[in-house]
Amino acid sequence: MSQYQVIIGLEVHVELKTATKLFCGCSAAFGGDPNTHTCPVCLGMPGVLPVINQEAIRLAVRSALALNCTVRAVSKFDRKQYFYPDLPKAYQISQYDQPLGEYGWVTIRGADDAAKKIGVRRVHVEEDAGKLNHLGQRLGDATGSLVDLNRAGVPLIEIVSEPDLRSAEEARLYLTELRAVLSYLDVSDLRMEEGSMRCDANVSLRPEGFAGSLEDLPRVEIKNVNSIRNVQRGIEYEVIRQTELLAAGERIVKETRGFDDATGKTYSQRSKEEANDYRYFPEPDLPPLVLDPQWIADMKRGLPALPDAIRADLVGRGIPEKDAEVLVLDREAYEYWREATALFQDERLVTNWMLSDLSRLINARGESFANSGVRPEGLVELLGLIQAGTLSGRMAKEVLEAMFESGQTASQVVKDKGLSQITDAGAIQSIVDQVLHDNPAVVQDFLSGKEKALAFMVGQVMKQTRGQAKPDLVNQLLRDSIQKNYAASQD
Amino acid sequence: MELSDREILHVARLARLRLTADELQPLRQDLNRVLDYVSQLQRLDLDGVEPTLHAANDQAPLREDVEAASLSVAEATKNGPKVAQHMFLVPRIMEGGSDGE
Amino acid sequence: MASKPLWTYEAHTLHDLFCEGAVSAEEIVTSHLARIRAVDASVGAFLYVDEAGAVAEARRQDQWSAAERRERPLSGVPVAVKDNIVTQGMPTTAGSKILGEFVSPYDATVVVKLKQAGAVIIGKTNLDEFAMGSSTEHSALAETRNPWDLSRVPGGSSGGSAAAVAAQLVPLALGSDTGGSIRQPSSYCGIVGMKPTYGRVSRYGLIAFASSLDQIGPMARSIRDARLLYHVIQGADRHDSTALSSAGDRTVSGGPWRIGVPREYFGEGMDAGVRRLTEAALERLRGMGHALVEISLPHTSYAIATYYLIAPAEASSNLSRFDGVRYGMRAEGRDLLTMYEKTRDEGFGAEVKRRILLGTHALSAGYYDAYYLTAQKVRTLIRQDFDKAFQEVDFIVTPTTPDVAFRRGERDDDPIKMYLGDVYTVTANLAGIPGLSMPAGVADGLPVGLQWLAPGLADTALFDAAATLEPQMEPMVWPMGVEA
Ligand SMILES: [Mg+2]
Ligand SMILES: [Zn+2]
Repeated sequence: MSQYQVIIGLEVHVELKTATKLFCGCSAAFGGDPNTHTCPVCLGMPGVLPVINQEAIRLAVRSALALNCTVRAVSKFDRKQYFYPDLPKAYQISQYDQPLGEYGWVTIRGADDAAKKIGVRRVHVEEDAGKLNHLGQRLGDATGSLVDLNRAGVPLIEIVSEPDLRSAEEARLYLTELRAVLSYLDVSDLRMEEGSMRCDANVSLRPEGFAGSLEDLPRVEIKNVNSIRNVQRGIEYEVIRQTELLAAGERIVKETRGFDDATGKTYSQRSKEEANDYRYFPEPDLPPLVLDPQWIADMKRGLPALPDAIRADLVGRGIPEKDAEVLVLDREAYEYWREATALFQDERLVTNWMLSDLSRLINARGESFANSGVRPEGLVELLGLIQAGTLSGRMAKEVLEAMFESGQTASQVVKDKGLSQITDAGAIQSIVDQVLHDNPAVVQDFLSGKEKALAFMVGQVMKQTRGQAKPDLVNQLLRDSIQKNYAASQD
Repeated sequence: MELSDREILHVARLARLRLTADELQPLRQDLNRVLDYVSQLQRLDLDGVEPTLHAANDQAPLREDVEAASLSVAEATKNGPKVAQHMFLVPRIMEGGSDGE
Repeated sequence: MASKPLWTYEAHTLHDLFCEGAVSAEEIVTSHLARIRAVDASVGAFLYVDEAGAVAEARRQDQWSAAERRERPLSGVPVAVKDNIVTQGMPTTAGSKILGEFVSPYDATVVVKLKQAGAVIIGKTNLDEFAMGSSTEHSALAETRNPWDLSRVPGGSSGGSAAAVAAQLVPLALGSDTGGSIRQPSSYCGIVGMKPTYGRVSRYGLIAFASSLDQIGPMARSIRDARLLYHVIQGADRHDSTALSSAGDRTVSGGPWRIGVPREYFGEGMDAGVRRLTEAALERLRGMGHALVEISLPHTSYAIATYYLIAPAEASSNLSRFDGVRYGMRAEGRDLLTMYEKTRDEGFGAEVKRRILLGTHALSAGYYDAYYLTAQKVRTLIRQDFDKAFQEVDFIVTPTTPDVAFRRGERDDDPIKMYLGDVYTVTANLAGIPGLSMPAGVADGLPVGLQWLAPGLADTALFDAAATLEPQMEPMVWPMGVEA
């Protein structure tokens, strides 16, 4: 099986978060009743012409720069021509030989933690197509299709990787990292289920010793997979399928394949034997896109902190790498963390609480860090009560849950439930004495060296104080009392 | 560079034109006459000559990202040859093309 | 009150009479409608006449005060629009079956400007299908005849507009010019037609033929009228990224000028009458004190080949949207591909298909460099020819066409021969410069056109220059007897 090297390149389409479409003033918002976001331009009516949305260009340049691309001061648009009912003009205005950005990279880190640079061949701007609703279960047995052009003309960037990926896992890492980078730029909703981020994967196998161009390998393109997980599954399946075909002495056909979520398999959609001929040519309706180099430079300087820098910063602050990774890959979590740590010095405590208890509650409620009912200042107040010894960890968990339920602050919850921790030794001593008195055998066990016996007694005290006693204080009082009242008689 | 019938049919498929047998013969003749005529351009020395890719403006104007009125659905679809549920209805899409031929 | 029928007047006169209150807009409009009813059955200039709409608009304008009439430079003036320019209230066909019952949901920018200027849009004029042709014989919908001789073509593709103006059905019309489609029919019909600098007039709403060559322009019976219409329609447009702002007009001195006479435009194959009248016009210019300078535009002979690669390539792309999905005709098929192919096969005429195939081939894998890219390089050489020439001369004067209006059916069989008729006009489209055709006289009963070319952006100067020659020429006697 190992005589082939897996070669993967990814093409990722990302819808840009603009108010209007790329070439007309129609709303670019997701959804809407069919054909309500359309005008002569995006319907491809006779006589219409495109006019470029400057915000789309700004977001595209931002993205290209964040992916370490060189941004062209002069780029141009071209027509990519093919007939399909979701493409109103029968050509897509895209960029062909002079894309906006080129020669960038994304750094991924595998399980061995070695960084690997994945080349970004190009980032270009283009318009999205409309949506087809098939009358029938699937395309194959549909009796017809209904065309909704609300999405037609929404601005996209297409990010094309070099064929640098060597496994489905690397593809997953690349997509995860790419999505994280884009999320910090605020350029897209990045919702794969809604199609605002889409991925096509090109998969081929290179025989050992093959010295030719990668372009010459028969390549299978897996189209429009709707989650990162499924991209990974599709590639895994495809690698096995192709390997088995080759092992059986068969030939790989250059083709486009779909991915079936239910079976985890890819299936043939369209053979590329009769290759597409897109007949690209320069869009005569659009003069060159000219950008001020100074503006590009300012834009680069103005980029926000991106995952690589954030990761380094977090680890430098003593956050464990695993935790740092979780924070970095979820921009909302990281921003939550930043807000919380701005108010609270113990960053590790914040991290621990965020990634364990808070995360669990948020997930259970289908919320996110951005819309969680407990805001950073609420969490910080709770952590303050722990730090001050007012709440034990266990009590704090209970308080956090109550905060989620009621929307109250930590101190309100503590007050309502009468939950503050007993830190006064005098208040606990009588209970300690009672527990020692009631459990002479356990005391003997402890005295004979069984440390566990002490834990039992601590538990008894905690129980009687309804958990409000401070555990280390109880611990100390028990030891001291045994030492004073029982150990002596033993001697 | 004479075009054969096969090549013309290939180009016709790209252009979504269905040519009948009696259209093909005169078309081949016309197309080849035109191609023969335009081949005179190959005689020119075009080394170092930039193509004229854009006729007038040397820079595309950019538009502000401000919403403009869309058409009503009725207006958007009023010219549709077949419309259902406010959408354009098209016949079934065969994977790989037509089952007609 | 006017002594002659109102339909014989020029646009600026009609506008003045209306502003003065000497005639009503309704009188002007009904006079032209009556003329159309009387004559257009034999000329066939119009594909659609909006009688009710025009009369309603005229009545509305009759309510305007004198000041309101004056504010709008075309108030009270009937105008015809070539039917490849979209109009909200009327059908738009582009002379093709494939548009079916199409009624545009929007007005072209030039139509918006016409309406703002008070023009009364009378109807839509015939053309070669999608403006592809030089005779208007390639319209799928109607035949248009030359008002000077009904057995002859009016030229094309703006043949309907040219015939309408020459037959005095309207004083003004819009045409579009991709390789000579305004100037050549203007020449054949004895009127003034002007193709502006590329980008001077918005193309938004012009059904694209060849996007990098197309321009909308005015057609009229005098240079003054043509200039009036030009000033209404020109200017930047936020819907057209290739439209230029009105600023930056290039001026030319008041003269005397150096007038370039390109030797490549006076070669063999020129009709004797055309040569005689062109030379006479040049003599008049010399007599007016201008210097005639022989110049060379050495790449002229490559212009037709260049044009017949670029234009079909762009057209093949622009016409892809006619696929039977969102508008226009559809031929039913049991699957999508069959529907596409049947629709386009039945919807497009032979000449359009020929150009779509040629253009598709010129852009297809393996041929792009040899055809499309090569042509765009030669285009650069042709532009440079003009750049060089205009360093030496202020204007260039040539015949508009090598011939006069030919007989209908005469050039059906041979595409190359048909294409070669555009030899003097296509260069202005390739170079993006303005060109104007004005009547040079009548030879053997048929008009001959004189073409003026000016540097890019010198559109106003071009009108001014041609206007100085107009009074020196024999007045045109318009063909009145077309009722026959
Ligand atoms: Mg793409
Ligand atoms: Zn739109």
